[in-house]
Amino acid sequence: MSATEIIGKKPLQILERIKENLEKLNEKMEVMIELQKHDTKSVMQPLTETPLDVMTLLSMPDHLRKTAITVCRLGRATADEIAQQTHRARAVESAYLNQLVIMGHLKKQRDGRKAYFYVERESQGGQ
Amino acid sequence: MGKIVAVHSYKGGTGKTLLSMNLAATFAKQGKIVCLFDLDFRAPSLAMLLEVEKTEHYVNDYLNGTCEVDKVLVDMSETFHAKGKLYVGFANPATEAIRDMSAKDRKWEMRALGRLLALRTSLLNDKSIDYLILDTSPGLQYSSINAIVTADLVLVATTFDRSDVDGTRRMLRELYDLFEKKTELVLNKVMDVSTKPAKEELRSRVKDTYQVPLLGLIPCFCDVLKAGGTTVFASEKPDHPFARILDEIANEINGMP
Repeated sequence: MSATEIIGKKPLQILERIKENLEKLNEKMEVMIELQKHDTKSVMQPLTETPLDVMTLLSMPDHLRKTAITVCRLGRATADEIAQQTHRARAVESAYLNQLVIMGHLKKQRDGRKAYFYVERESQGGQ
Repeated sequence: MGKIVAVHSYKGGTGKTLLSMNLAATFAKQGKIVCLFDLDFRAPSLAMLLEVEKTEHYVNDYLNGTCEVDKVLVDMSETFHAKGKLYVGFANPATEAIRDMSAKDRKWEMRALGRLLALRTSLLNDKSIDYLILDTSPGLQYSSINAIVTADLVLVATTFDRSDVDGTRRMLRELYDLFEKKTELVLNKVMDVSTKPAKEELRSRVKDTYQVPLLGLIPCFCDVLKAGGTTVFASEKPDHPFARILDEIANEINGMP
């Protein structure tokens, strides 16, 4: 008899919700740790949408530039997919991605248990 | 999977367009499917050099989001006597278009980067293009840096002019390195490399100065300069020493992982 059958469907859903919440909590903690590690003031300044153009990429700290460029290349990706490209740990990429969201360079969208990160291009103006 | 090659330099007049055009012609001569894009929107030159007076769509239109990339491609395989295929994407040389491209804001440039990055799928994957060559404008311009971010390989055309040397060194450290780009130098308009020791001495001087690989050494050919860029030596004079050097450069790039 499988574990699913033993604990029933409802308890399993509850456990999944707990896991999801723990993951969200973990992401928030990773961001807080990252913000403390780097220059918090400069990172926290632009809270509104800031275009991720090449001049902005050039002025970024190296660790964030690598993540940001990878998102630009992939278009829309999870922390896992970014980590596969950059060969860094998923938790590290998750922290950097969330930091880029806070800085206004990336957007984050939840799809079930997965969080996708992308550059908002089409809805913005620009001439 | 094809490659995207950006041809860039610190200063103007180092031979970027000459190199881009002849490199594209060399690959096409080898049977490759090649796209050559003019991304020098402030001083477009491919339309003039290839005597194409007007096309329906320009690279400007693709980056503006008003047409798809296949509308931009002009088949110039016959002009280049290509064994493969050679498509050219022109920058609009009209004064109004140049003014329009110079006034773009950061949001537009960000979208333009997205459209350039999308070429990897639309050209390299979907159309099986072997090489997309991006001829850029010199220095730190938005369009050039967008091209550098998009490229797999950056060819830096340089001369031994003092201001070009210092500027190129700075760009290597503060631009290409930051984007972790594979960068190779092409030293152009070189005087006196007729003997092997002179060539070796120059190679070691370039290595000491720039600390990046030297892909090619192009001597100052009077007949190339006299042609004013209108003769594509790689396809029209394939036995010329300049065309031979281009063959070597193309083969080196073919062999890169």
